[in-house]
Amino acid sequence: MIDPDEHLVVDCDWHYADTFTQVAPYMPEPWKTKFQKSSWGPTGVKQNLSAFFPASTGNRMNYGKIEREFSEYPDGGDDKEDIIEGMEHLGIDATLQISHLVLAMGGVTADDRRVESFIKGYVEYLIEEVVDPDAGIYALAPMPYHDIDASLDVLDRIEDEEAFKGVVMVTAGASPPLGNRKYDPIYERCEDLGLPVVYHTGGSGLDEYVRAGYEEMIETHTLGFLEANMSQIVSVACQGVAEKFPDLDIVFMESGVTYIPGLVSRLDEEYMKRSEEAPLLERPPSEYITDFYFGTQPLEVGARNDLLELCFDMIGTDRLLYASDYPHWDYDSPSIVTDLPMLDDEDRKDILGRNAEEVFGL
Amino acid sequence: MSDDGRVEVAPVDDFEEGRAEIVNVGRVEVGVMKAGDEFHALRNQCPHDGGPACEGLVEKRLVGEWEGPGERVEQSYSDDDYIVSCPWHGWSFDVETGEHIGNDRYVVPTYEVEVEDGVVYVLTE
Repeated sequence: MIDPDEHLVVDCDWHYADTFTQVAPYMPEPWKTKFQKSSWGPTGVKQNLSAFFPASTGNRMNYGKIEREFSEYPDGGDDKEDIIEGMEHLGIDATLQISHLVLAMGGVTADDRRVESFIKGYVEYLIEEVVDPDAGIYALAPMPYHDIDASLDVLDRIEDEEAFKGVVMVTAGASPPLGNRKYDPIYERCEDLGLPVVYHTGGSGLDEYVRAGYEEMIETHTLGFLEANMSQIVSVACQGVAEKFPDLDIVFMESGVTYIPGLVSRLDEEYMKRSEEAPLLERPPSEYITDFYFGTQPLEVGARNDLLELCFDMIGTDRLLYASDYPHWDYDSPSIVTDLPMLDDEDRKDILGRNAEEVFGL
Repeated sequence: MSDDGRVEVAPVDDFEEGRAEIVNVGRVEVGVMKAGDEFHALRNQCPHDGGPACEGLVEKRLVGEWEGPGERVEQSYSDDDYIVSCPWHGWSFDVETGEHIGNDRYVVPTYEVEVEDGVVYVLTE
Protein backbone atom coordinates (compact mmCIF):
# COMPACT_ATOMS: atom_id res chain seq x y z
CA MET A 1 0.00 0.00 0.00
CA ILE A 2 1.50 3.34 -1.00
CA ASP A 3 1.59 6.41 1.18
CA PRO A 4 0.00 9.38 -0.67
CA ASP A 5 2.49 11.70 1.00
CA GLU A 6 5.29 10.07 -0.94
CA HIS A 7 3.69 10.42 -4.37
CA LEU A 8 2.30 13.08 -6.63
CA VAL A 9 -1.26 13.96 -5.69
CA VAL A 10 -3.26 16.20 -8.00
CA ASP A 11 -6.67 17.27 -6.85
CA CYS A 12 -8.81 17.89 -9.90
CA ASP A 13 -11.73 19.45 -8.08
CA TRP A 14 -11.09 21.89 -5.25
CA HIS A 15 -13.79 24.49 -4.80
CA TYR A 16 -12.62 27.97 -4.25
CA ALA A 17 -15.02 29.30 -1.62
CA ASP A 18 -15.47 32.69 -3.17
CA THR A 19 -17.85 35.48 -2.25
CA PHE A 20 -19.55 38.03 -4.40
CA THR A 21 -17.84 40.67 -2.32
CA GLN A 22 -14.48 39.33 -3.42
CA VAL A 23 -15.39 39.04 -7.06
CA ALA A 24 -17.54 42.16 -7.53
CA PRO A 25 -14.67 44.68 -7.70
CA TYR A 26 -13.35 42.71 -10.68
CA MET A 27 -16.66 42.44 -12.51
CA PRO A 28 -17.26 44.52 -15.60
CA GLU A 29 -19.73 47.36 -15.32
CA PRO A 30 -22.57 47.77 -14.69
CA TRP A 31 -22.48 44.84 -12.30
CA LYS A 32 -19.44 46.15 -10.51
CA THR A 33 -21.37 49.22 -9.44
CA LYS A 34 -24.78 47.61 -9.19
CA PHE A 35 -23.53 44.92 -6.89
CA GLN A 36 -21.71 47.22 -4.54
CA LYS A 37 -24.81 49.36 -4.14
CA SER A 38 -27.18 46.48 -3.73
CA SER A 39 -26.87 45.95 -0.01
CA TRP A 40 -26.38 42.28 -0.57
CA GLY A 41 -24.60 40.49 2.19
CA PRO A 42 -21.16 39.02 1.89
CA THR A 43 -22.27 35.45 1.35
CA GLY A 44 -23.06 33.43 -1.72
CA VAL A 45 -25.95 31.18 -2.54
CA LYS A 46 -27.38 31.56 0.96
CA GLN A 47 -28.48 35.11 0.23
CA ASN A 48 -32.12 34.22 -0.04
CA LEU A 49 -34.21 36.90 -1.73
CA SER A 50 -31.26 38.92 -3.01
CA ALA A 51 -29.10 36.08 -4.25
CA PHE A 52 -27.06 36.82 -7.31
CA PHE A 53 -27.69 33.32 -8.59
CA PRO A 54 -30.82 31.29 -7.89
CA ALA A 55 -30.43 29.37 -4.67
CA SER A 56 -30.61 25.64 -4.31
CA THR A 57 -32.18 24.28 -1.20
CA GLY A 58 -30.76 21.77 1.16
CA ASN A 59 -28.65 22.12 4.26
CA ARG A 60 -25.18 21.24 3.09
CA MET A 61 -23.77 21.59 6.57
CA ASN A 62 -25.88 18.68 7.71
CA TYR A 63 -27.47 20.55 10.60
CA GLY A 64 -24.16 21.88 11.85
CA LYS A 65 -22.27 18.61 11.79
CA ILE A 66 -19.87 19.76 9.07
CA GLU A 67 -16.93 22.01 9.93
CA ARG A 68 -14.03 23.10 7.78
CA GLU A 69 -10.66 24.03 9.22
CA PHE A 70 -9.10 25.28 6.01
CA SER A 71 -11.95 27.13 4.36
CA GLU A 72 -14.67 29.64 5.08
CA TYR A 73 -17.14 27.33 3.32
CA PRO A 74 -20.09 27.64 3.13
CA ASP A 75 -20.04 31.40 3.68
CA GLY A 76 -17.04 31.86 1.43
CA GLY A 77 -14.20 34.32 1.71
CA ASP A 78 -11.23 32.01 1.29
CA ASP A 79 -7.88 33.29 0.20
CA LYS A 80 -4.76 31.78 -1.22
CA GLU A 81 -3.41 30.91 2.23
CA ASP A 82 -6.49 28.82 2.97
CA ILE A 83 -5.76 26.73 -0.11
CA ILE A 84 -2.08 26.28 0.77
CA GLU A 85 -2.90 25.20 4.31
CA GLY A 86 -5.61 22.85 3.09
CA MET A 87 -3.31 21.31 0.50
CA GLU A 88 -0.70 20.65 3.16
CA HIS A 89 -3.32 19.10 5.41
CA LEU A 90 -4.64 16.78 2.71
CA GLY A 91 -1.26 16.05 1.17
CA ILE A 92 -2.10 17.55 -2.21
CA ASP A 93 0.68 18.78 -4.49
CA ALA A 94 -1.42 20.49 -7.13
CA THR A 95 -5.01 21.60 -7.25
CA LEU A 96 -7.43 22.78 -9.90
CA GLN A 97 -9.68 25.45 -8.45
CA ILE A 98 -13.33 25.56 -9.50
CA SER A 99 -15.52 28.39 -8.31
CA HIS A 100 -18.02 27.36 -5.68
CA LEU A 101 -20.51 30.06 -6.57
CA VAL A 102 -20.53 29.46 -10.30
CA LEU A 103 -21.99 26.00 -9.77
CA ALA A 104 -25.36 27.70 -9.44
CA MET A 105 -25.12 29.44 -12.82
CA GLY A 106 -27.28 26.80 -14.45
CA GLY A 107 -30.25 28.21 -12.59
CA VAL A 108 -30.04 31.42 -14.60
CA THR A 109 -32.45 31.06 -17.46
CA ALA A 110 -32.80 34.59 -18.79
CA ASP A 111 -30.28 37.20 -17.63
CA ASP A 112 -27.16 35.59 -19.04
CA ARG A 113 -25.18 38.83 -18.69
CA ARG A 114 -25.17 38.05 -14.99
CA VAL A 115 -23.25 34.83 -15.61
CA GLU A 116 -20.82 36.47 -18.01
CA SER A 117 -20.12 39.27 -15.56
CA PHE A 118 -19.51 36.96 -12.68
CA ILE A 119 -17.17 34.70 -14.61
CA LYS A 120 -15.15 37.49 -16.13
CA GLY A 121 -14.78 39.03 -12.69
CA TYR A 122 -13.93 35.69 -11.13
CA VAL A 123 -11.19 35.00 -13.67
CA GLU A 124 -9.61 38.43 -13.10
CA TYR A 125 -9.86 37.95 -9.36
CA LEU A 126 -8.16 34.56 -9.51
CA ILE A 127 -5.36 35.86 -11.71
CA GLU A 128 -4.78 38.82 -9.44
CA GLU A 129 -5.13 37.21 -6.03
CA VAL A 130 -5.21 33.42 -6.00
CA VAL A 131 -3.60 31.26 -8.68
CA ASP A 132 0.07 30.42 -8.31
CA PRO A 133 1.54 27.60 -10.39
CA ASP A 134 4.70 27.61 -8.30
CA ALA A 135 2.54 26.70 -5.31
CA GLY A 136 0.54 24.15 -7.28
CA ILE A 137 -2.57 26.34 -7.38
CA TYR A 138 -4.08 26.05 -10.83
CA ALA A 139 -7.59 26.83 -12.01
CA LEU A 140 -10.29 25.93 -14.48
CA ALA A 141 -12.11 28.77 -16.19
CA PRO A 142 -15.89 28.53 -16.06
CA MET A 143 -17.58 28.99 -19.42
CA PRO A 144 -20.55 31.41 -19.54
CA TYR A 145 -21.99 29.08 -22.13
CA HIS A 146 -25.32 30.88 -22.35
CA ASP A 147 -23.34 33.28 -24.53
CA ILE A 148 -20.79 31.74 -26.88
CA ASP A 149 -19.09 35.05 -27.66
CA ALA A 150 -18.63 35.69 -23.95
CA SER A 151 -17.17 32.21 -23.56
CA LEU A 152 -14.67 32.90 -26.33
CA ASP A 153 -13.78 36.18 -24.57
CA VAL A 154 -12.87 34.18 -21.47
CA LEU A 155 -10.80 31.77 -23.52
CA ASP A 156 -8.96 34.70 -25.10
CA ARG A 157 -8.28 36.06 -21.62
CA ILE A 158 -6.78 32.86 -20.23
CA GLU A 159 -4.98 31.73 -23.36
CA ASP A 160 -1.59 32.86 -22.11
CA GLU A 161 -2.24 32.38 -18.41
CA GLU A 162 -0.15 29.44 -17.28
CA ALA A 163 -2.35 28.79 -14.26
CA PHE A 164 -5.49 27.98 -16.28
CA LYS A 165 -5.43 24.36 -17.31
CA GLY A 166 -8.92 23.80 -18.63
CA VAL A 167 -12.49 25.03 -18.63
CA VAL A 168 -15.61 24.13 -16.69
CA MET A 169 -19.01 23.52 -18.20
CA VAL A 170 -21.60 23.47 -15.40
CA THR A 171 -23.85 20.56 -16.26
CA ALA A 172 -26.90 21.24 -14.09
CA GLY A 173 -29.32 23.47 -15.92
CA ALA A 174 -27.43 23.56 -19.23
CA SER A 175 -30.07 23.83 -21.91
CA PRO A 176 -29.85 22.86 -24.68
CA PRO A 177 -27.73 19.99 -23.42
CA LEU A 178 -24.02 20.31 -23.92
CA GLY A 179 -23.69 18.12 -27.00
CA ASN A 180 -25.68 20.70 -28.98
CA ARG A 181 -23.91 22.32 -31.91
CA LYS A 182 -24.36 25.68 -30.22
CA TYR A 183 -21.34 24.89 -28.06
CA ASP A 184 -19.09 23.79 -30.93
CA PRO A 185 -17.09 27.03 -31.00
CA ILE A 186 -16.14 26.52 -27.34
CA TYR A 187 -15.02 22.97 -28.00
CA GLU A 188 -13.18 23.94 -31.14
CA ARG A 189 -11.25 26.66 -29.32
CA CYS A 190 -10.47 24.43 -26.36
CA GLU A 191 -9.19 21.75 -28.71
CA ASP A 192 -6.97 24.33 -30.42
CA LEU A 193 -5.64 25.54 -27.07
CA GLY A 194 -5.18 22.05 -25.68
CA LEU A 195 -7.52 22.80 -22.78
CA PRO A 196 -9.59 19.91 -21.42
CA VAL A 197 -13.31 20.51 -20.94
CA VAL A 198 -14.38 19.60 -17.42
CA TYR A 199 -18.09 19.01 -17.00
CA HIS A 200 -19.06 19.65 -13.41
CA THR A 201 -22.44 19.24 -11.85
CA GLY A 202 -23.95 21.99 -9.80
CA GLY A 203 -26.47 22.52 -7.08
CA SER A 204 -28.91 24.71 -8.91
CA GLY A 205 -32.15 23.15 -9.87
CA LEU A 206 -31.67 20.04 -7.78
CA ASP A 207 -35.11 20.39 -6.33
CA GLU A 208 -36.85 20.88 -9.62
CA TYR A 209 -34.61 19.14 -12.10
CA VAL A 210 -37.28 16.62 -12.90
CA ARG A 211 -40.06 17.37 -10.48
CA ALA A 212 -40.55 19.71 -7.58
CA GLY A 213 -41.34 18.45 -4.16
CA TYR A 214 -38.36 16.58 -2.83
CA GLU A 215 -38.05 17.31 0.84
CA GLU A 216 -34.50 16.55 1.92
CA MET A 217 -31.04 17.02 0.56
CA ILE A 218 -30.32 13.30 0.73
CA GLU A 219 -32.81 12.94 -2.10
CA THR A 220 -31.84 15.88 -4.27
CA HIS A 221 -28.11 15.54 -3.79
CA THR A 222 -28.17 11.85 -4.66
CA LEU A 223 -30.29 12.29 -7.76
CA GLY A 224 -29.42 15.76 -8.98
CA PHE A 225 -25.74 15.16 -9.50
CA LEU A 226 -26.36 11.89 -11.27
CA GLU A 227 -29.08 13.30 -13.47
CA ALA A 228 -27.05 16.34 -14.45
CA ASN A 229 -24.00 14.30 -15.40
CA MET A 230 -25.89 11.53 -17.11
CA SER A 231 -27.98 13.88 -19.21
CA GLN A 232 -24.89 15.71 -20.45
CA ILE A 233 -22.83 12.57 -21.04
CA VAL A 234 -25.58 11.17 -23.23
CA SER A 235 -25.84 14.41 -25.18
CA VAL A 236 -22.09 14.87 -25.61
CA ALA A 237 -21.64 11.25 -26.66
CA CYS A 238 -24.61 10.91 -29.01
CA GLN A 239 -24.06 14.24 -30.74
CA GLY A 240 -20.53 13.16 -31.57
CA VAL A 241 -18.47 15.80 -29.77
CA ALA A 242 -15.59 13.32 -29.63
CA GLU A 243 -15.84 12.73 -33.39
CA LYS A 244 -16.05 16.42 -34.16
CA PHE A 245 -13.13 17.31 -31.92
CA PRO A 246 -10.99 14.20 -31.64
CA ASP A 247 -8.13 15.89 -29.78
CA LEU A 248 -10.39 17.39 -27.11
CA ASP A 249 -10.03 15.86 -23.65
CA ILE A 250 -13.40 15.42 -21.96
CA VAL A 251 -13.68 15.12 -18.17
CA PHE A 252 -16.76 14.52 -16.02
CA MET A 253 -16.65 15.35 -12.32
CA GLU A 254 -18.44 14.60 -9.12
CA SER A 255 -20.82 11.74 -9.44
CA GLY A 256 -18.62 8.87 -8.31
CA VAL A 257 -18.05 5.93 -10.62
CA THR A 258 -20.85 3.42 -10.17
CA TYR A 259 -23.27 5.17 -12.51
CA ILE A 260 -21.03 4.79 -15.54
CA PRO A 261 -21.46 1.06 -16.25
CA GLY A 262 -25.22 1.33 -15.94
CA LEU A 263 -25.47 4.38 -18.15
CA VAL A 264 -23.22 3.11 -20.92
CA SER A 265 -24.88 -0.30 -20.90
CA ARG A 266 -28.30 1.24 -21.32
CA LEU A 267 -27.11 3.71 -23.95
CA ASP A 268 -25.44 0.96 -25.97
CA GLU A 269 -28.68 -1.01 -25.96
CA GLU A 270 -30.51 2.01 -27.31
CA TYR A 271 -27.81 2.59 -29.88
CA MET A 272 -28.14 -0.94 -31.25
CA LYS A 273 -31.80 -0.23 -31.89
CA ARG A 274 -31.49 3.36 -33.10
CA SER A 275 -28.00 3.67 -34.60
CA GLU A 276 -29.04 6.08 -37.34
CA GLU A 277 -29.96 8.67 -34.71
CA ALA A 278 -26.29 9.08 -33.80
CA PRO A 279 -24.88 9.34 -37.32
CA LEU A 280 -21.50 10.75 -36.35
CA LEU A 281 -20.59 7.76 -34.19
CA GLU A 282 -18.26 5.20 -35.66
CA ARG A 283 -18.65 2.81 -32.74
CA PRO A 284 -20.96 2.25 -29.77
CA PRO A 285 -21.29 5.21 -27.39
CA SER A 286 -19.72 3.31 -24.51
CA GLU A 287 -16.44 3.25 -26.37
CA TYR A 288 -16.42 7.04 -26.52
CA ILE A 289 -17.57 7.50 -22.95
CA THR A 290 -14.90 5.23 -21.54
CA ASP A 291 -12.38 7.43 -23.34
CA PHE A 292 -13.62 10.34 -21.23
CA TYR A 293 -11.95 11.04 -17.90
CA PHE A 294 -13.87 10.86 -14.65
CA GLY A 295 -13.26 12.48 -11.29
CA THR A 296 -13.48 9.89 -8.53
CA GLN A 297 -15.39 11.88 -5.93
CA PRO A 298 -17.65 11.04 -4.16
CA LEU A 299 -16.27 7.55 -4.45
CA GLU A 300 -18.75 4.89 -3.36
CA VAL A 301 -16.35 3.16 -0.97
CA GLY A 302 -19.19 1.38 0.78
CA ALA A 303 -20.17 -0.45 -2.38
CA ARG A 304 -19.23 -4.06 -2.94
CA ASN A 305 -15.59 -4.41 -3.90
CA ASP A 306 -16.46 -6.45 -6.95
CA LEU A 307 -18.75 -3.66 -8.17
CA LEU A 308 -16.04 -1.04 -7.77
CA GLU A 309 -13.57 -3.34 -9.47
CA LEU A 310 -15.96 -3.74 -12.38
CA CYS A 311 -16.38 0.03 -12.61
CA PHE A 312 -12.63 0.64 -12.62
CA ASP A 313 -12.23 -2.05 -15.24
CA MET A 314 -14.92 -0.59 -17.52
CA ILE A 315 -13.76 3.01 -17.17
CA GLY A 316 -10.05 2.20 -17.02
CA THR A 317 -7.69 3.27 -14.25
CA ASP A 318 -5.95 5.43 -16.84
CA ARG A 319 -9.14 7.47 -17.07
CA LEU A 320 -9.76 8.16 -13.40
CA LEU A 321 -8.71 11.38 -11.69
CA TYR A 322 -8.53 11.89 -7.96
CA ALA A 323 -10.77 14.78 -6.90
CA SER A 324 -11.32 16.01 -3.37
CA ASP A 325 -14.22 18.44 -3.82
CA TYR A 326 -12.82 20.17 -0.76
CA PRO A 327 -14.18 22.07 1.11
CA HIS A 328 -17.61 20.78 0.16
CA TRP A 329 -19.43 18.71 2.74
CA ASP A 330 -18.82 15.35 1.02
CA TYR A 331 -15.14 15.71 0.12
CA ASP A 332 -12.73 12.79 -0.35
CA SER A 333 -9.18 12.58 0.98
CA PRO A 334 -6.41 11.03 -1.15
CA SER A 335 -6.52 7.96 1.09
CA ILE A 336 -9.88 7.14 -0.49
CA VAL A 337 -7.84 5.96 -3.47
CA THR A 338 -4.89 4.39 -1.69
CA ASP A 339 -7.13 2.36 0.62
CA LEU A 340 -8.91 0.56 -2.22
CA PRO A 341 -7.90 -3.11 -2.06
CA MET A 342 -8.58 -3.95 -5.70
CA LEU A 343 -6.03 -1.50 -7.13
CA ASP A 344 -2.32 -2.07 -7.47
CA ASP A 345 0.14 0.62 -6.53
CA GLU A 346 0.71 1.77 -10.10
CA ASP A 347 -3.04 2.27 -10.54
CA ARG A 348 -3.14 4.22 -7.31
CA LYS A 349 -0.35 6.53 -8.45
CA ASP A 350 -2.05 7.04 -11.81
CA ILE A 351 -5.37 7.96 -10.23
CA LEU A 352 -3.84 10.14 -7.53
CA GLY A 353 -1.77 12.30 -9.82
CA ARG A 354 -0.12 10.94 -12.92
CA ASN A 355 -3.27 10.84 -15.06
CA ALA A 356 -4.12 14.44 -14.16
CA GLU A 357 -0.54 15.54 -14.76
CA GLU A 358 -0.86 14.27 -18.31
CA VAL A 359 -4.41 15.40 -19.06
CA PHE A 360 -3.98 18.91 -17.73
CA GLY A 361 -0.34 19.32 -18.71
CA LEU A 362 0.77 20.27 -15.22
CA MET B 1 -32.84 -27.25 -51.95
CA SER B 2 -31.93 -28.00 -55.51
CA ASP B 3 -29.10 -30.31 -56.38
CA ASP B 4 -27.26 -27.72 -58.47
CA GLY B 5 -26.05 -25.83 -55.43
CA ARG B 6 -28.65 -23.13 -55.50
CA VAL B 7 -32.17 -22.39 -54.36
CA GLU B 8 -34.67 -20.65 -56.61
CA VAL B 9 -36.21 -17.61 -54.98
CA ALA B 10 -38.47 -15.80 -57.44
CA PRO B 11 -38.50 -13.98 -60.76
CA VAL B 12 -36.85 -10.59 -60.62
CA ASP B 13 -40.12 -8.86 -61.39
CA ASP B 14 -41.79 -10.36 -58.35
CA PHE B 15 -39.52 -8.55 -55.87
CA GLU B 16 -41.35 -5.83 -54.00
CA GLU B 17 -39.43 -2.65 -53.27
CA GLY B 18 -38.37 -2.55 -49.63
CA ARG B 19 -39.30 -6.13 -48.82
CA ALA B 20 -37.39 -9.38 -48.86
CA GLU B 21 -38.47 -12.75 -50.20
CA ILE B 22 -37.99 -15.46 -47.63
CA VAL B 23 -36.81 -18.94 -48.70
CA ASN B 24 -35.55 -21.99 -46.92
CA VAL B 25 -31.92 -22.86 -47.47
CA GLY B 26 -31.25 -26.13 -45.77
CA ARG B 27 -32.52 -25.77 -42.26
CA VAL B 28 -32.41 -21.99 -42.14
CA GLU B 29 -34.51 -19.19 -43.54
CA VAL B 30 -32.82 -16.68 -45.80
CA GLY B 31 -34.13 -13.29 -46.83
CA VAL B 32 -33.39 -12.23 -50.39
CA MET B 33 -33.82 -8.57 -51.15
CA LYS B 34 -33.40 -6.09 -53.96
CA ALA B 35 -31.36 -3.05 -53.05
CA GLY B 36 -30.99 -0.66 -55.95
CA ASP B 37 -29.97 -2.80 -58.90
CA GLU B 38 -28.44 -5.56 -56.80
CA PHE B 39 -29.75 -8.55 -54.92
CA HIS B 40 -28.53 -9.61 -51.49
CA ALA B 41 -29.29 -12.51 -49.20
CA LEU B 42 -28.98 -12.68 -45.41
CA ARG B 43 -30.01 -15.21 -42.85
CA ASN B 44 -33.45 -14.36 -41.54
CA GLN B 45 -32.44 -14.47 -37.91
CA CYS B 46 -31.44 -11.48 -35.81
CA PRO B 47 -28.45 -12.08 -33.52
CA HIS B 48 -30.15 -9.96 -30.90
CA ASP B 49 -33.28 -11.87 -30.02
CA GLY B 50 -33.73 -14.31 -32.87
CA GLY B 51 -36.28 -12.18 -34.67
CA PRO B 52 -36.99 -12.40 -38.42
CA ALA B 53 -34.35 -9.83 -39.34
CA CYS B 54 -35.12 -9.85 -43.07
CA GLU B 55 -38.84 -9.37 -42.71
CA GLY B 56 -38.45 -5.72 -41.81
CA LEU B 57 -37.91 -2.74 -44.07
CA VAL B 58 -35.18 -2.72 -46.69
CA GLU B 59 -34.21 0.87 -47.30
CA LYS B 60 -31.39 3.26 -47.97
CA ARG B 61 -29.29 4.00 -44.92
CA LEU B 62 -29.83 7.36 -43.22
CA VAL B 63 -26.44 9.01 -42.76
CA GLY B 64 -25.26 12.33 -41.36
CA GLU B 65 -22.70 14.82 -42.55
CA TRP B 66 -21.13 17.52 -40.42
CA GLU B 67 -19.96 20.61 -42.25
CA GLY B 68 -18.07 22.16 -39.35
CA PRO B 69 -18.33 23.77 -35.89
CA GLY B 70 -21.75 25.18 -35.17
CA GLU B 71 -23.33 23.54 -38.17
CA ARG B 72 -26.19 21.08 -37.92
CA VAL B 73 -25.44 17.47 -38.77
CA GLU B 74 -27.39 17.18 -42.02
CA GLN B 75 -29.04 13.83 -42.47
CA SER B 76 -29.79 12.27 -45.81
CA TYR B 77 -30.37 8.87 -47.34
CA SER B 78 -27.26 7.26 -48.74
CA ASP B 79 -27.10 6.69 -52.48
CA ASP B 80 -25.39 3.36 -52.19
CA ASP B 81 -25.80 1.83 -48.75
CA TYR B 82 -28.90 -0.21 -48.00
CA ILE B 83 -29.98 -1.68 -44.69
CA VAL B 84 -32.55 -4.14 -43.50
CA SER B 85 -34.02 -3.69 -40.03
CA CYS B 86 -35.35 -6.44 -37.82
CA PRO B 87 -39.00 -5.65 -37.16
CA TRP B 88 -38.82 -6.83 -33.57
CA HIS B 89 -36.40 -4.20 -32.15
CA GLY B 90 -34.98 -2.29 -35.09
CA TRP B 91 -31.46 -3.71 -35.23
CA SER B 92 -30.27 -2.68 -38.67
CA PHE B 93 -27.83 -4.52 -40.89
CA ASP B 94 -25.93 -3.58 -44.00
CA VAL B 95 -27.46 -5.77 -46.69
CA GLU B 96 -24.13 -6.31 -48.42
CA THR B 97 -21.96 -7.28 -45.46
CA GLY B 98 -24.56 -8.38 -42.92
CA GLU B 99 -22.86 -6.19 -40.30
CA HIS B 100 -24.89 -4.27 -37.76
CA ILE B 101 -24.63 -0.62 -38.76
CA GLY B 102 -23.69 0.52 -35.26
CA ASN B 103 -21.49 -2.32 -34.11
CA ASP B 104 -19.79 -4.59 -36.62
CA ARG B 105 -19.17 -7.23 -33.98
CA TYR B 106 -22.68 -8.40 -34.75
CA VAL B 107 -22.99 -9.94 -38.20
CA VAL B 108 -25.82 -11.76 -39.93
CA PRO B 109 -24.49 -14.45 -42.29
CA THR B 110 -24.73 -13.54 -45.96
CA TYR B 111 -25.21 -15.69 -49.06
CA GLU B 112 -24.22 -15.33 -52.67
CA VAL B 113 -27.03 -14.49 -55.06
CA GLU B 114 -27.21 -14.88 -58.82
CA VAL B 115 -29.76 -13.96 -61.46
CA GLU B 116 -30.26 -16.21 -64.43
CA ASP B 117 -32.87 -15.81 -67.11
CA GLY B 118 -34.78 -13.34 -65.02
CA VAL B 119 -34.91 -15.60 -61.98
CA VAL B 120 -33.10 -14.98 -58.66
CA TYR B 121 -31.25 -17.82 -56.93
CA VAL B 122 -29.41 -18.15 -53.61
CA LEU B 123 -26.19 -20.12 -53.89
CA THR B 124 -25.79 -22.81 -51.27
CA GLU B 125 -22.21 -23.84 -51.89
